[in-house]
Amino acid sequence: MTSTLKGITLKGSAELVAEFFSFGINSILYQRGIYPPETFTRITHYDMSLQLTTDPKLKNYLTNVVSQLKEWLFECTVQKLVLVITCLETSEVLERWQFDIECDKSAKESREKSIKTIQDEIRSVIRQITATITFLPLLETPCAFDLLVYTDKDLLVPDKWEESGPNIINQSEEVRLRSFTTSIHKVNSMVAYKRTDSV
Amino acid sequence: MDLDDDTSVLSTLKSFNSFISLPEHPQRPSDHSATGSGILHNQYKRSMELLEAAEKVQSKNRYLQLDQEKKRMEMSHKRARFELERAVSDNARDLEHEVDRNQDLVGRIKKLEGRETDAAKNLCEQVEASRALRKNLDGLNKKIDERDSRLNTANQTISSMKDEIRELKQQMQNKDSTISAQTLENQELQEQLDLQRRKYQEVSQLCQSLQAAESSCSEHVIKIKELERRLAFQEEDIAIVKTVKLEVARLPDLEKELKRLRDDNAFLRESRENCSLLKEEVEGLRRKLERMEKTKEELVNMELEKERLAEKLKAWENLGQSTGLNIRSESSHTFHLLISCHSVSVRSVERSQAELRAELSQQRSRTMEEQKKREAQDALVRRLQKRILLLTKERDGMRAILESYDSELAPTEYSPQLSKRLREAEDILQKTQNHNAEMEVRVHTYTNSKPQANACARTFFSSSRQKIEDLEAERQRLEEQNNILEMRLERHNLQGDYDPVKTRVLHLKMNPTSVAKQQRQQEVDALREEVTHLRELVRSLQDGGALVHSQDESNLRKQMESSELRNQRLKEVFQRKIQEFRTVCYVLTGYQIDITTENQYRLASVYAEHMDDSLLFKKGSSGSMQLMETEFSKTLGEMVALHLHHQKSIPAFLSAVTLDLFSRQTTL
Repeated sequence: MTSTLKGITLKGSAELVAEFFSFGINSILYQRGIYPPETFTRITHYDMSLQLTTDPKLKNYLTNVVSQLKEWLFECTVQKLVLVITCLETSEVLERWQFDIECDKSAKESREKSIKTIQDEIRSVIRQITATITFLPLLETPCAFDLLVYTDKDLLVPDKWEESGPNIINQSEEVRLRSFTTSIHKVNSMVAYKRTDSV
Repeated sequence: MDLDDDTSVLSTLKSFNSFISLPEHPQRPSDHSATGSGILHNQYKRSMELLEAAEKVQSKNRYLQLDQEKKRMEMSHKRARFELERAVSDNARDLEHEVDRNQDLVGRIKKLEGRETDAAKNLCEQVEASRALRKNLDGLNKKIDERDSRLNTANQTISSMKDEIRELKQQMQNKDSTISAQTLENQELQEQLDLQRRKYQEVSQLCQSLQAAESSCSEHVIKIKELERRLAFQEEDIAIVKTVKLEVARLPDLEKELKRLRDDNAFLRESRENCSLLKEEVEGLRRKLERMEKTKEELVNMELEKERLAEKLKAWENLGQSTGLNIRSESSHTFHLLISCHSVSVRSVERSQAELRAELSQQRSRTMEEQKKREAQDALVRRLQKRILLLTKERDGMRAILESYDSELAPTEYSPQLSKRLREAEDILQKTQNHNAEMEVRVHTYTNSKPQANACARTFFSSSRQKIEDLEAERQRLEEQNNILEMRLERHNLQGDYDPVKTRVLHLKMNPTSVAKQQRQQEVDALREEVTHLRELVRSLQDGGALVHSQDESNLRKQMESSELRNQRLKEVFQRKIQEFRTVCYVLTGYQIDITTENQYRLASVYAEHMDDSLLFKKGSSGSMQLMETEFSKTLGEMVALHLHHQKSIPAFLSAVTLDLFSRQTTL
């Protein structure tokens, strides 16, 4: 982390964004009840209390994805990160949490933005995510989640990763949420959910 | 004597018998020696002889007997006489005695009659007493019956209570089981409650955060609005700058015009002031006119009066001539003075009138000139308004262009074409506007100088205007299309659409969804195998395992029956024990304790005087027993006060009650 310097480098920005994704995904999984709440433990970060999973398989998966994502963020080849929630019985997509990433590729030198501001913005985004849960339709059937990464086409696909479809929801309602920027990476959040009357 | 008679009879009998037997003995051997009919005949003869002998004997006997009897009779007669005599004497004595006794008896009878009456009275009393006693008996019997019935009812109630006890115990057991189940549920629900509370807390936190976010949102919205305003101002400034730049060329003309307009304005103001002054003068003059006209009328009247007065004067002169001279000179003097004054005033009024008329005509000419100037200024104002409209349209166009330039964030396929079109349209617009301005100037000069060339200029003007309008319409259409397409793009972006040429979607091969699907599939397969396996088992059981099935059923039934029997035995044992215990309690403590309702206990003493006498105790929430009011307890007020209130001991109270009742019973 860029602790002593006030400026944010590309590497530091990539780490901040990856850290945000890690906590954000954990809190979405906790809030939507994809995993039982007793498998989560409370920790404090960004000056607020967040839930972090203790399930070892899930932890392992998340660390794999987030570490790869950090690399891609550093290379500025990632465009979106999507958390897809599918119903296990019918195999249809019920929710889609999409995070658009805009990278300023011309950031060679460090930018002036205080980490506190970035953390405040991240905190407001996470708070808004938890607030949007209130109007999302209940997930009554057992669900599983998946993380999709939209990258540039000419990128080399690492092993253990494979290409997949976009898993777009049929007849969805979309809501655009807050965004935050580290002055090098800008992250826009949005959520799309399946309309309940069409279920 | 009788005995002798008897003995003689006996002796005769004995002799007869001996006689009978003797002939028998010798007869027997004769029977043995003699044979055949001779025997029989002999026998018959002997028998006849015997019979005759017997008869003789008998007759002798009878004779003897009779003799004896006679003797006896005589003896008896004698005796009887003796006896009779004795009896007579005795009877006489007896009579005497009897008489004495009779007297005694009479006395006694009297006494006895007295006693009899007493006895009768006693009898009556006793009859009455007996009736009363019978009544009492009846009453007692009734009471006994009632008590019996009560006993029966009590027994029934006891049995019913016992049934109830049994049922209650069953219910208790059931309730215990339900309680245990419900405690489990309760625990689960409490856990859920905790979860919900946590969630609620989190939700409340979220609400607070939401509120904070909302407040910050509103602040941001305000800031955004301010920024938008500033942006608008800036855009306006930009537009203004551009227009200013465009208008730099026009500046000198405008300045000239300005100067002219200012001069005209000053002149008009002066003329306005003059106008106002002139108006005031006109008004004053009008008033003067009116006054003059009034004075004219007065003049006329005055002249009429003058004529009248002249006539009068003449008359007076005539009169004066006829009468004297003094009056004439003074009145004519004054009259002449008046006339001269009136004529002077009339002349002055006429002069002023003429002056006013001249001034009026001058003022009218001036107002005409001013009206013409005003019309010219109105025409100028209209022209200036038209120019303002055109300028505002230019500014709107520039603003729209700026907005479209600002709102384009990402390069897409559609916008370059639109932007190109937009630029072309703007260029055309600018050209037409310049052309329009030039045309207007030309029109202005044409209208000022040559009104004949207006027609072609106007057609050109109108054609250019139409072009401008068409271009504007097309531009708006294009803008709307652009907005719609941008919205669609945004929507697709939100939904997750991507350009396959530039983007690729990746995910880990071992991701939770695929893992969960595999697990689910495995579970489904396992369940299907189990189902098929179970179906085979069921089929096999149905086909071949009928006996096993029934055996299992019979085993289960036997188990059920044995358990039911056990239950029943337990119930019986329990009942017996309870009854035993209760009877023992009753016997030992002297109180029968019944549970009437929840936490209420009724105690009935062994020595209770009435069936209804009972004490009611209620168990309070804290576990302490409290005595309730009954009729019986009201009679025990002292004991209640002493043992319960003062000593605060229920056993002491109960034992005091039993002792009291026992003492009462034994005294009765």
